[in-house]
Amino acid sequence: MKIWLRQNLWRHLIGISICLFSLFPLYLVVISSFNSSGSLQLTSFIPTEISFSNYKMLFSDPTIPYLTWVKNSLIIAGAVAVLSVAIGSASAFAFSRLQFKGRKLGIQLLLLVQMFPAILAISAVYVIMERVYKFAPEIGLGTQSGLLLVYLGGAMGVNIWLLKGFVDSIPAELDEAAKIDGASSVQTFWLIFVPLASPVLAVVALLSFIGTFNEFILARLFLVDMESRTVAVGLQQFIGGQYSENWGPFAAGSILASIPIVIIFLSLQKYIVSGLTAGSVKG
Amino acid sequence: MNFLIRGRVALVLKIVIVSLLSAILLMLTQSAFAQREYVIAAYLAISVLILALTYLTKISIPLKFFIPGILLLTAFVIGPILYTVGMSGFNYKTGNIISKTEAIELIKAEGTEASPDGIAFDLALGRIGSEQAILVSDVTNLKYFVSTGKTRTEVNPADVTLNEYGVAIAAPNFTSLDDSELSGADKSYSEIKFKYDGDFFIALEGLETGIVSQQVLKYEATNDQFVNLVDGTLYKDNGRGNYASVNDESTILEPGWRAPIWFENYSKIFTDPRVREPLVRVFLWTITFALLTVITTFALGLLLALALNKPIRGRRIYRSILVLPYAMPSVMSILIWGGMFNTEFGAINTLFGTDIAWFSDPNFARTAVILVNLWLGFPYFYLISSGSLQAIPSELQEAAAIDGANPRQIFRKITLPLLMQILSPLLIASFAFNFNNFNLIYLLTGGGPRNNLDGEIAGATDILISYTYKIAFGSETQDLGLASAISLIIFVLVASISLYSLRKSKVLESFA
Repeated sequence: MKIWLRQNLWRHLIGISICLFSLFPLYLVVISSFNSSGSLQLTSFIPTEISFSNYKMLFSDPTIPYLTWVKNSLIIAGAVAVLSVAIGSASAFAFSRLQFKGRKLGIQLLLLVQMFPAILAISAVYVIMERVYKFAPEIGLGTQSGLLLVYLGGAMGVNIWLLKGFVDSIPAELDEAAKIDGASSVQTFWLIFVPLASPVLAVVALLSFIGTFNEFILARLFLVDMESRTVAVGLQQFIGGQYSENWGPFAAGSILASIPIVIIFLSLQKYIVSGLTAGSVKG
Repeated sequence: MNFLIRGRVALVLKIVIVSLLSAILLMLTQSAFAQREYVIAAYLAISVLILALTYLTKISIPLKFFIPGILLLTAFVIGPILYTVGMSGFNYKTGNIISKTEAIELIKAEGTEASPDGIAFDLALGRIGSEQAILVSDVTNLKYFVSTGKTRTEVNPADVTLNEYGVAIAAPNFTSLDDSELSGADKSYSEIKFKYDGDFFIALEGLETGIVSQQVLKYEATNDQFVNLVDGTLYKDNGRGNYASVNDESTILEPGWRAPIWFENYSKIFTDPRVREPLVRVFLWTITFALLTVITTFALGLLLALALNKPIRGRRIYRSILVLPYAMPSVMSILIWGGMFNTEFGAINTLFGTDIAWFSDPNFARTAVILVNLWLGFPYFYLISSGSLQAIPSELQEAAAIDGANPRQIFRKITLPLLMQILSPLLIASFAFNFNNFNLIYLLTGGGPRNNLDGEIAGATDILISYTYKIAFGSETQDLGLASAISLIIFVLVASISLYSLRKSKVLESFA
């Protein structure tokens, strides 16, 4: 018993205290979401009332198209995840496995380009999409498809880089064998590489899904219509006004939107961590 | 699956997809061209060409893999970067946004002044034929005339119809506007300079009055200069996007235009104290913020990793709870923390029984920023340090223990150095990421608190990127030229940090 205390007590003490630190804000959101007063106050640690009015408000108030926001976020983030991995893995495969002139230069350029802080190119992107709107209103400023294109372009650099790290770690013997058997590069990619790398591709897709889901500035700049907003932009307006802070629906909406992401994250934790070490940045 | 990749079906599929895509892009090219967006049109046209060449011929196999990525990168990353580089060489800010031709037109339009004797007339709006015209009544002298932008025709007083105030409302050949036309007429009529006398013209003031005015600023296209017709001052292009008085350089005509000033935005950063001082302050805080974040998150993460490095009871539960802050969408958690730091209602003040105005005091605001970032970031370092701890071969520690080292010595002399070697690229990468952690600052403090009185836009918690964002998209003045120049400097800084880290992590070796 004594040895146990000496060896393990401090571990539990640290574990418990930091767990409290990480849980505190989350706990606060949960109790606020069940509190009808709309404040984020900490009146007591044990909730005094359990009210579902905030949740009901999200689904029944016609001025709050919450479900549409969630749908928008899922569609945009999902499309970015799938498309950027599809396009990015092709480039990553080529960088990693094909020999061609200018390969080194290409990698260095890509590395450089993906370091440009995206926020700083916003004004340029804005001007470009404003011009596109003039001749193609379907994909210009203010549309979800336009935002999708911008996200795709922005995700390209990081994703190719991240995926290249993964591809490099996959042993090349298999696709060399395929090559010897007479497969072309395109066939090797589709028939050998994609099935082999699919868990890794899924993780990168998930990371870009979360990254896109978290994106705020571009989404707010681009999506002006109430109906076309994403969850983050839509919910932010509850607390954005200086005098009209209404934390109840914000808390309820954030919890509902976060649950699926948290669950996916926790269940794929192991793979995500290896992904993070390879690319080393969370979006 | 195989039939989709080789054989006839695959070929047909490929041709269909490529032609569909090309058709859409061609359509866009055409409409872009029609709207005179030549750069975009050229980009689209070249895309079509490359797409067709790559996928329908055997010109290059790697290109087949690269083309979609390259096209997207060019349009939405490289294009904007080049545009930013371009903007950084221009005097491109509030007051100097439009092109020179537009600016000249605006100066001409605004360069008028009421005549010194202040004559005003009652008038009626209408048309002669299809031309916009006004029927002017000089009520004191009982004279009437019809005036258009080019001509002025006297009307015999006997021919006009007067209303109860003695203002002419109808005259021969003059069709007055009906009520529905009147409501939309304001803008188009107020732009016209109706002929009066010599250099004088009548400018509309509302729908029923006109003021005799004169053009004060006259543009002389041959010398590219404006002349003030009243006092004779000359305004010449000062080469920086404005017409400035020849006598006094600081007197300029508004608006200006975006003019190339080459490296001035860059030199301003180093020489102009009004730009340099806030920037140095923000830069120092950016470094402090990024360093403190890396140190605190790594320290807490490592502590946890060490504490939970043994298979103690409940380790899985701890682990799941500890990664929650990392798994939550960060936009949401940052906003929630913002609410928790509220002075009056915030949970932090309630919890500790304090009454701190977190976001009004620079030091408290900075503490809050670091604390929130600690919450957001420590799980990352916990996860990767516990992974790395397991990667360190236990033989080393056992050997040291046999040699008589105590646990503390083992940690300091063996585990930590090895760990640092594994993690240093990630620490540097985390530094680079936090150097540009825009979301945190923007959503938590908005860069504040700032001293509003002295017109300073840099706040106490502003980091370079949020400060630059404010310079470019601020509420009062927007200086896109300067913001672009600072952006590129940040880019160079972050790129050098990251390149250094990559060199260290030896990724670059694999390039060869």
